Amino acid sequence: MAGDIAIIGYAQSPSWRAAELTEPQFLFPVITEAIERAGIGRRDLGFTCAGSCDYLSGQTFSFVMNLEAVGAWPPISESHVEMDGAWALYEAWVRLQHGDIDTALVFGSGKSSPGVPSEIFPLQMDPYTITPLGADPVSLAALQARAMLDAGKITEREMAEVVARSRRSAIGNPHAQVTGDHDVDALLGEPYLTAPLRRHDLPPISDGASAVVLATAGKAKEVCERPVWIRGIDHRIEVHQPGMRDLTTSASTRMAGEKAGVGKAAVDVAELSATFSHQERILCEALGLDDKVDVNPSGGALAANPVMAVGLSRVVEASRQIADHGKHRAVAHATSGQCLQQNLVAVLEGD
Amino acid sequence: MSSEPCAVIGIGQTKYKKKRDDVSLPGLVREAAQRALDDAELTWTDIDAVVLGKAPDPFEGVMMPELSMADALGANGKPLMRVHTAGSVGGSTAIVASHLIEMGIHERVLAVAYEKQAEGNAQWGLASGKSGGMGAGGIFAPWMRTYINRSGAPEDIGWKVAVKDRQNACKNPYAHLQLQDISIEKVKESPMLWEPVHFLESCPSSDGACAMVLTNEAGAKKASKPAAWVLATAMRSELGQFPGRDPVRPVAGVECAHMLYDAAGITNPRKQIDVAEIYVPFSWYEPMWLEGHDIAGPGEGWKMTDSGATQISGDFPVNASGGVLSSNPIGASGMIRFAEAALQVRGEAGEHQVEGASVGLGHAYGGAAQYFAMWIVGSSLDAVAKKQ
Amino acid sequence: MSDASQDVVDPNAPVVGMDYFMSLHFNEIICPVVRRYADALLEGKLIGHRCPKCGLVYAPPRGYCPIDVIETTDADEVQLADRGVVTNYTVVTPVAYYGQEATEPFAKVSVQLDEPGGALSLQDVLEIGADEVRVGMRVEAVWAPEAERNIDEIGNRSWGSAEGCIRGWRPTGEPDVPADQMSDKAF
Repeated sequence: MAGDIAIIGYAQSPSWRAAELTEPQFLFPVITEAIERAGIGRRDLGFTCAGSCDYLSGQTFSFVMNLEAVGAWPPISESHVEMDGAWALYEAWVRLQHGDIDTALVFGSGKSSPGVPSEIFPLQMDPYTITPLGADPVSLAALQARAMLDAGKITEREMAEVVARSRRSAIGNPHAQVTGDHDVDALLGEPYLTAPLRRHDLPPISDGASAVVLATAGKAKEVCERPVWIRGIDHRIEVHQPGMRDLTTSASTRMAGEKAGVGKAAVDVAELSATFSHQERILCEALGLDDKVDVNPSGGALAANPVMAVGLSRVVEASRQIADHGKHRAVAHATSGQCLQQNLVAVLEGD
Repeated sequence: MSSEPCAVIGIGQTKYKKKRDDVSLPGLVREAAQRALDDAELTWTDIDAVVLGKAPDPFEGVMMPELSMADALGANGKPLMRVHTAGSVGGSTAIVASHLIEMGIHERVLAVAYEKQAEGNAQWGLASGKSGGMGAGGIFAPWMRTYINRSGAPEDIGWKVAVKDRQNACKNPYAHLQLQDISIEKVKESPMLWEPVHFLESCPSSDGACAMVLTNEAGAKKASKPAAWVLATAMRSELGQFPGRDPVRPVAGVECAHMLYDAAGITNPRKQIDVAEIYVPFSWYEPMWLEGHDIAGPGEGWKMTDSGATQISGDFPVNASGGVLSSNPIGASGMIRFAEAALQVRGEAGEHQVEGASVGLGHAYGGAAQYFAMWIVGSSLDAVAKKQ
Repeated sequence: MSDASQDVVDPNAPVVGMDYFMSLHFNEIICPVVRRYADALLEGKLIGHRCPKCGLVYAPPRGYCPIDVIETTDADEVQLADRGVVTNYTVVTPVAYYGQEATEPFAKVSVQLDEPGGALSLQDVLEIGADEVRVGMRVEAVWAPEAERNIDEIGNRSWGSAEGCIRGWRPTGEPDVPADQMSDKAF
């Protein structure tokens, strides 16, 4: 194929605990900003792909309303995945390689605030054996954290350190929701919510959106001063039943990382969708990232978790590190399902 | 940049039925997928990636089902994506899968689309749980009325489509409705659902799944059965509601068709396409899409139906499989159209085969007639060129 | 300890299906533009937004123009006519489903409002039978008495609903607009 695909524009909404605006209302400015940053016209776009989830919205066909945020008149070529926007990015990345179009818009959006996660997310599990147990994300993550602790792969202190570091990093990030300076011992003094997880080990409930504009190599060089090149991207899924996987490792992240070429050169920064504090270690290990890598300078998913956009937001934040903060090589990671069942890894580089 | 040719070498369908109470969700999906693999003479381990498509998750009460079906789809350790573009999803799923082959990302991709809507209540889902729902056809009925007024079509055109498609379905062992004694009288006398659409002019609600195995040129050469070559694909969408919109002849539909014809090298769709599987969930959509995709001129679509041109024996057979009017597992219906077109150009459509079909059109639409996905398949890479 | 094999289900036994009812709760903040629309309904007014760029009138207002993809605000508010013309309709025969309360066929019409414009779809008709509805029929809103109005059913996703304030639309008795003039107003 003729050259890598680049990220030439991106934008994020703030992350709100409960947005007053509807999804299309807070989505369209994000899309407009990403397109403007890319320095192209809206009608130049050859393809658009969105990520969102009906059940999260509590509405069948909820993605149809989001089309109003795109500028779909006159008609456009577009598609949608019922997955995080990171997978919409993957679909657009594939599409662009044909060469008949040179730019694509990708976005992810979601409002987690109207629903009750412990009601909704059990529906994401096997309907015959797990959903009836009411297995919600926090309980499943707690099982995974317990496995990590019992295997000696992490300590509760180390989990609290991830939280403290993430919230501190998020200070000054206008797109983060939970920020602050925390003392690790104070965090450890908090009661368990669902042992061994404390409330701060969980991601916040967030409403938000993010968008990315992709371009083929020729187009990127023409319009973009500092394109962020996608050197590799891959995604993999594992068996669904949590009891059939080693929850202390992420085989699919490892595989996706290998296929995406993470290990080919040094990584400066990684934006990982570690929605629970113990998961960061699992992901770093799977991706072969050592202490020298700056992990989640944005604060990561612990600071803002707009489900359906959060994975794409990691791509945005990693791109910022390259385009705005002079970093050279970054890894962005997205996840889907519980306990890291499905994972996407992208390797990004500046010129 | 050039792209790799993409071929369909395996097709699998389930028997479509009001309620498949003999299989679970994974069971339904595997039935189609296994048949496609068997048809392709491949096994689960030969597949590099899986693309799953289905309509809204509330229809079955399972959110993001690709996660719980990863094992059933043989996807452990593989890339798996889930496409959702409303009614057109079966078609767009096939197109997404074809891109993975064409861009050389994978060599063998399994595309699956399904709906097991008897597990939930599709009417409830469409109404978002509220009373007074319009049902599947309530939104489209007024547009059919407008078509009838604009075109001056006689009232029996819709009934004729309903009869034709159900008679065709009797030749398709997978079809849900097998109405051996369907007649114009029966259609006309059936209860009105959404004026002017009668019960027998409307699609059924079905459970079912459809799967295809897509591969590249090397893979097609290795296959022992003839391939259906993907000659062109197109997707186009527009806003569903804005002042001044024409939902009867949506611009996105016209554009999608022309993008498709241009990519396939088709200059005269009426002559160069041998067989069409068009998403007709309500009878009048046959003439509406014939016009809406410039296969017939304005006001001429109903004449194609009226003259018998769209019969299997006619010069532009539409829905030889029985179409959506005979089987409608919502998330799968688009892929069934794409698959049936491929079956035709492989010469594998059995009793509903259109003689000598070498160029086929697969079509799907969704939402407020705002999402379109279409493909052209051929019995050879130069199938269209041969028709110049 | 019992022999575990005794607990294994006979693979030839008939498949069992069970009903599994689930209930999800969603509580969404009404966005400012819908709140304004709802408050206006309580006052007996239908409001929309006119896009400052293309001039199209959106009823109800969305807070943006989806064609130009720009924000529309209170500054773009227009009071809409509560009379207009039926551009299209269907008569729905209700089917049973959980939550369905309708039992008799009901008509749903689209109304193109008089100047400044705007169109509402899925509206109810009053004072005539469902079988008397015609394209081109002139109609006017039947407002609930002020004391009886409510906006309980108005939400971010009501999509043109005026439920609780406008009971439906009744023919005004004026001559019809010729149906062929409605041919390009299919919505």
